[in-house]
Amino acid sequence: MNTLIILSALGIIALFAEIFRFRKALFPLILLGLGGAFFFTAKEYNHPQIFLGMMNFDNYAVIFSCAILIIAFLWFMMAKNYFLQETSVTDHFALILFSLVGAVVMVSFSNLTMLFLGIEILSVSVYVLAASDKSNVMSNESGFKYFLMGSFATGFLLFGITLIYGITGSFDLASIHTQVAANHDSGLVIAGILLLMIGLAFKSSLAPFHFWAPDVYEGAPTTVTTYMATVVKTAAFAAFFRLFSTCFAGVTGHWTDVLWWMVVLTLFVGNVSAVRQKSVKRLLAYSSVAHAGYIAIAVVSMGAASTSAILYYTFTYSISSISAFTILFIVSRHKGSKDISAFEGMSKANPLLSFAMTVAMLSLAGIPPTAGFFAKYYVFLTAINAGNTLLVLIAVIAALVGIYYYFRVIIAIYFKPEQQLVPIKVGPLHRTVLIITTILTLLFGLFPNLILGWI
Amino acid sequence: MTVYLFIILGVFAILSALMVVFTKNPIHSILYLVLTFFAIAGEYVLLNAQFLAIVNIIVYAGAIMVLFLFVVMLLNLNKETEPHKSILRQLIAVIAAGILLIVLVGSLKGADTMTIKPFAQNTGYIENLGQVLFKDFLLPFEVSAILFLAAMVGAVMLGKKDIK
Amino acid sequence: MLQYAALIPFFPLAGFIILGLLNKKLPKNIAAVIACGMLLISFGLALGVFMNISGKTEEVQLAPWINVGSFSASFTFLLDPLSSIFLMIITGVGFLIHVYSIGYMHDDEKHNIFFAYLNLFIFFMLVLVLASSYLLMFVGWEGVGLCSYLLIGFWFKTKAYNDAAKKAFIMNRIGDLGFLLGIILLFITFGSSDYHTVFTKANGLMSGDTMITTITLLLFVGAMGKSAQIPLYTWLPDAMAGPTPVSALIHAATMVTAGIYMVARSGILYALSPVSMLVVAVVGIVTAVFAATIALTQNDIKKVLAYSTVSQLGYMFLGLGVGAFSASVFHVMTHAFFKALLFLGAGSVIHGLSGEQDIRHMGGLRKKMPITHITFLLATLAIAGIPPFSGFFSKDEILGHAFSAGMVFWVLGVIGSMMTSFYMFRLLFLAFYGTYRGDEHKVHAHESPKVMTIPLIILAILSTIGGFVGVPESLGGSANFDKFLEPVFHDAYAKMLLMEHSQILSEVALMGITVAAAAISIFFAWNMYVKKKTVPVSEGTRLPFLQNMSYHKYYVDEIYSALITKPLDKISGFLGNVVDNKFIDGIVNASGKLTNWVSGLMRFVQTGNVDFYLLAMVVGIALIIFFKLM
Repeated sequence: MNTLIILSALGIIALFAEIFRFRKALFPLILLGLGGAFFFTAKEYNHPQIFLGMMNFDNYAVIFSCAILIIAFLWFMMAKNYFLQETSVTDHFALILFSLVGAVVMVSFSNLTMLFLGIEILSVSVYVLAASDKSNVMSNESGFKYFLMGSFATGFLLFGITLIYGITGSFDLASIHTQVAANHDSGLVIAGILLLMIGLAFKSSLAPFHFWAPDVYEGAPTTVTTYMATVVKTAAFAAFFRLFSTCFAGVTGHWTDVLWWMVVLTLFVGNVSAVRQKSVKRLLAYSSVAHAGYIAIAVVSMGAASTSAILYYTFTYSISSISAFTILFIVSRHKGSKDISAFEGMSKANPLLSFAMTVAMLSLAGIPPTAGFFAKYYVFLTAINAGNTLLVLIAVIAALVGIYYYFRVIIAIYFKPEQQLVPIKVGPLHRTVLIITTILTLLFGLFPNLILGWI
Repeated sequence: MTVYLFIILGVFAILSALMVVFTKNPIHSILYLVLTFFAIAGEYVLLNAQFLAIVNIIVYAGAIMVLFLFVVMLLNLNKETEPHKSILRQLIAVIAAGILLIVLVGSLKGADTMTIKPFAQNTGYIENLGQVLFKDFLLPFEVSAILFLAAMVGAVMLGKKDIK
Repeated sequence: MLQYAALIPFFPLAGFIILGLLNKKLPKNIAAVIACGMLLISFGLALGVFMNISGKTEEVQLAPWINVGSFSASFTFLLDPLSSIFLMIITGVGFLIHVYSIGYMHDDEKHNIFFAYLNLFIFFMLVLVLASSYLLMFVGWEGVGLCSYLLIGFWFKTKAYNDAAKKAFIMNRIGDLGFLLGIILLFITFGSSDYHTVFTKANGLMSGDTMITTITLLLFVGAMGKSAQIPLYTWLPDAMAGPTPVSALIHAATMVTAGIYMVARSGILYALSPVSMLVVAVVGIVTAVFAATIALTQNDIKKVLAYSTVSQLGYMFLGLGVGAFSASVFHVMTHAFFKALLFLGAGSVIHGLSGEQDIRHMGGLRKKMPITHITFLLATLAIAGIPPFSGFFSKDEILGHAFSAGMVFWVLGVIGSMMTSFYMFRLLFLAFYGTYRGDEHKVHAHESPKVMTIPLIILAILSTIGGFVGVPESLGGSANFDKFLEPVFHDAYAKMLLMEHSQILSEVALMGITVAAAAISIFFAWNMYVKKKTVPVSEGTRLPFLQNMSYHKYYVDEIYSALITKPLDKISGFLGNVVDNKFIDGIVNASGKLTNWVSGLMRFVQTGNVDFYLLAMVVGIALIIFFKLM
């Protein structure tokens, strides 16, 4: 609860910053506030609290909130420069902070109304942010496209909630669990679960509900894309898993086979489409779709280890993504192009950028000793434990395809002739972000227990 | 009696909703939408939810639809400005949506809903609504404030001109 | 002494970090001294371990690593005779190659980064052999793959080099997939990937267990990728694109033997599965002969050696497959000596001829490069299996076991051995004897500097006398090498009840036959290339069918390309062009023309792209509901 209050207050303070003209002080204030929010959230670890029967701040919620706050902290450090060039800095920051409120609600809800509100707060803010580069038609298009399709998906989510309410008479997760178990063969239950799943699959960009993702990711400003690929994705999967593990774990027969096919489709579409991309941004967009597929494997194979697998995957994926997007941001601003060719031969003049990008790509590809390897490994392990060997096989093949396109970037960096030997300027904030993310990626790759031990 | 009224209002709501889609003139569409809202408000009254009925009319039929009208008129949209859409595409869309409808109806046919509470005289009264809203659902009520704030900030941000 | 063993891998790692961070800021000399120094310290420690390890098995736990639910793993190093031998090979031969590289890479602008990569490679290789669980071994396994990839593409200015690097990487990933699945199955079966747990539990199982067969076959797929066996061997010859010391270190002496190490380490598992043993033996012998036939006609000095490496690795797998675990490890050791020497000698030749690699343009180098010539000759004698050079003892031990496992293995082995002598002496004669066939005016062949020749001399000594540590009893020796490794393979041998040694008389007779066969083919080579002065024909000349097939490596690369690479490209191209360009790009381009927010907004709704997306969603939802509820 403290987290929610701090984040909301920060958002409102951000709005006031415009009026009272302390824009300069806003950025440190936000970092401080996020630190405070992190502190108060972490304090609730092992002290589960239930708020008005609507939010259950158990360890799951605490850990995911903390993960989201850390990612958000890194994101702010990365995005500061971009937003300072724009005029409505305070609005941007306020929207991000509000969306964080949504994300925290999404990981801690114990009532479907809260789930819905959380998703909507997060989505509405991100719709606007995607369109926030007002002079860019691509950004406008992306925001509108996201909004239109998002509303459509929300419709199905709401329909699902309605059907579940119709059969169970409650929005509360615990009573839904018992009621669903009692009426497990009712058509309403099945239809409700499936529609809820479709709504959440849209938010987490699982095929065939992923079509928005590549376009929106590409059109939105790079910083916002980063936010979508990291915080939004983490929150979406945390909510997805929280809902399905609490309410529908007893009726897996109704939904796992459908999700199974969605995962296979997502892995295929995401990875194969990424192979031919010239633009690194679009490549990362498709890769984000593909990674949603891997994470969803842990949802399909619901079991004891799924929670830690999802946590580890989303967190390490987010960190590597921040790294990759930050470098893309720096390079594309310097070269004016987001294509892979912009990265060619940059290793000589920019050792830090090249190394950080390599680590990020290796992690996304799942190659030890980076964290991405264990992320995939744990996800596969849950699947094996649940007997989904075929799925693992498909996922491993998909991962092989993935290695191909991630290595295209590394090859461009190291094995192509230098284009220019002028070092790209990297600001101190970006430098810090890159150093932190790279170290974390390697550290978690060597000591996965640093994350896994918590849950 | 109420059953007949329910059916009549329901048919009316569906028909006007269809007209929203089928009329070419955007202004007519909006007016049909207002009609739809009235029909639905009527259904609310039949369900003893007078407050919802009034809110529905004031907020949707009143405020939001007027806003829509303003926007449409300000942008001077009419039949002529609507770009042409191919028949094939429309056909595909209709078929797909139709299939979804059939599938949903088919799947929910014969499903039983749960009766939680027997119908009482004061069900749907403002007092009860207030009790539920400010006691059981206090947190969602408060949190929705953030949602509206975010939406407002977003609208202002997208709407205002950049100061150079 | 043993407690310091855990430090062995960390000196090269420290070297990598120092060199990697300081890179250009360090003068070349200092960088080289750091890299070699770190390795020398590791070698000293490894030597200490080797002296103290006999008959013992020690585990050194560094840190708990992963602990989730029932799953746990730790950074633990395992020290036993087997790992100590590999430690000695890696640090010892590695050190010599590092020293050699000082001379070889002296003028390269990426000198420091080269040493950094080499050190990193050594680190991962040491982790691989020191690991006490399959999971940790996998970390090293992937790490050496990565380094190999980086070093093959080290001179990345040429596209062919990049392609070679990519090919190596992809082929290895196929193998790794098998390895990883094997590890996962191990987990499921034994609940752990620790050698100790796995082997103890496996020891209680009956021979022929299906699960064990599956696991061992999957692990073997990994070994096939890493150790370049049929059908995953084509990357190794291409990997010769890297600098020659890399070929010597990674693609001859150490990394490619990781597959042998892994199978030997899992000896007990393989011993439980006769089917897997047979597969290993058959793949090994077929690769040995197949690669040897290709080597007969190659004209690139490094390509000949590459195919020879593939072929020798085949012999090692043959040894493993017939249950001669210690003989295979023995051959790994002697092979590391003489093959590293051959590569370094080839490097010396290439260095002396300013980059010439084609043996048709060499000849007569005997006088100009005396040290290279003598050392190369000794290595050639060793690989050809002429007593008393090292290769003779190890190869004959393998062939001896092959004979008791099946006559056909032995016959094929001897044929392969004959071809080995032939192509190696062909190489030797064409390069060092006769008259110089290159352009005298352009290239002034010269002997390499001392820093390069001294490692050659040391390796030559090792290649010559290295075999005496394992003189078989039939020749009056005491088979010390086998006895040293006996504790490691004890359980595995016990499972293979059928391993009876043939009679002493016959063993000596077999050796006689193989040596005679090798001698005959040396004579043929001498007759052809020294006496008749034949020079292989130049490109484009029509060759007889068999020779042509061999020269073009049986067109395996082309077949792979047609069967696998091209169809994949097609599918991807289709998806990229049709789905992406037509639907998505087309739409994005169309909307790019919009001029302002409102018209963009309105027209956008009607351009049809979102229509398509929504249509896809609706169809998806309808399908899902239909299949689940109707």
